[in-house]
Amino acid sequence: MSPASRPARVATLLLLALVLQHSLLVDVRVAGVSPDLLLLVAIGGGIVGGRERGAVVGFAAGLVADLLAQTPFGLSSLTFGLVGYGVGTLQAGVLRLTWWIPLLTGMAATAAGVMMYALLGALLGQGYLLRPELAGLAAVVGLLNAGLVPVVVRATGWALSAGPDQAFAR
Amino acid sequence: MAVYRRSSRPRFTLLLVVLTSITLLTLDQRGSGFGVVGTVRDAARDAFAPVQDAADAVFSPVGDFVQGALRYGEVEDENGRLRAQLAEREGELLRARDGRREQRALLDQQDLSFVDDVPTVASRVVQRSDARFGQTIELDRGRDAGVAPGMPVVTGAGLVGRVVDASGRRSTVLLVTDPTSNVGVRFSLSGDVGVAAGRGRGSSLRVDLVEPSSVVARGEILVTSGLEHSAFPPGIPVAQVRAFTATTGALQQDVTAEPVADLARLGVVKVLQWSGR
Repeated sequence: MSPASRPARVATLLLLALVLQHSLLVDVRVAGVSPDLLLLVAIGGGIVGGRERGAVVGFAAGLVADLLAQTPFGLSSLTFGLVGYGVGTLQAGVLRLTWWIPLLTGMAATAAGVMMYALLGALLGQGYLLRPELAGLAAVVGLLNAGLVPVVVRATGWALSAGPDQAFAR
Repeated sequence: MAVYRRSSRPRFTLLLVVLTSITLLTLDQRGSGFGVVGTVRDAARDAFAPVQDAADAVFSPVGDFVQGALRYGEVEDENGRLRAQLAEREGELLRARDGRREQRALLDQQDLSFVDDVPTVASRVVQRSDARFGQTIELDRGRDAGVAPGMPVVTGAGLVGRVVDASGRRSTVLLVTDPTSNVGVRFSLSGDVGVAAGRGRGSSLRVDLVEPSSVVARGEILVTSGLEHSAFPPGIPVAQVRAFTATTGALQQDVTAEPVADLARLGVVKVLQWSGR
């Protein structure tokens, strides 16, 4: 049986992440915030596939997140795309050295992504996203996401593994 | 030359991602949420609703378990507090009946009407927003059930917020505690008016535009003012005055009030099918 094409695998992963985010993870609240699984998939794309795939997977994950968000459409795809690219740039240098570096990267990149999301949102007129407790909330989301890094990196690795379709991203 | 092309490809991809995102943002802004992007979002929301319901049924026991484990200490403290409150409430029950009669009489005197005659849509709260994205809840009823943006949402205790977005099967409600929420209110005793503004999760409301000469009482109920062009019908209880200070020379009093509806534990709410006068 031939392996599923890469876009189909990525689409499956994103749909699964969306369902889990809005059913299971939405109930996992610490200080009012939940893990952000779709942002973590973008980070996983950067860790596993490098900057180009990180940007593409991040953009796709952001689009899916935007579908059910109340914020401007395109804000998540822009933020997640940039985060995926940034993590992918780091991946070329240090990410594969030891097991804990992806964990730390997942935590820091999540916190950075949450801050960037609020900042870009504020620039687009959503000033309420820039709240005084934002840095604390970003740190909590980062910690929650760090716990999910091993599973998400493995799942993203499966989604981006070589299939018959090479056109998706290299 | 070949090396240059290869290294520039990721940057070109990033540029494409950024430009596409900006295009989507522009389309969304131009349509103000109701254009092509709004239609796609509504369709996605409705298509996802049954998936979410099914996944909820499967995962809610797991979510409850995790949530219970994370909040074990808090839940134990809360149990103690609730036991003490229960004993207190039993004693207050008779007094409350009398108070309700008194409140009704006060509102009648001010020519305010309750909203008993407005048709309602009972809805279940299916999701609460993450603390990063403001204070909203999602309901399991949408346009198909007669819910539309602008409609007030209440519990038996009082005002919860108003609908800000509705697809066929889902709707989003902005809570009165959201920092962007402003509700025109009337003090039930003095009849003076003000604006109750949200200050975020777990915080009391700040009541603005209360004149220094106004007589405010601690525990006084604030109800929706229902003034012309108000977003809410008159007479819905909103909050109870918790504290107030009148500083000499200030243009208004500093008044804070606690929402009467328990916004942290919303299960079923009612959407009032009221769309202004």
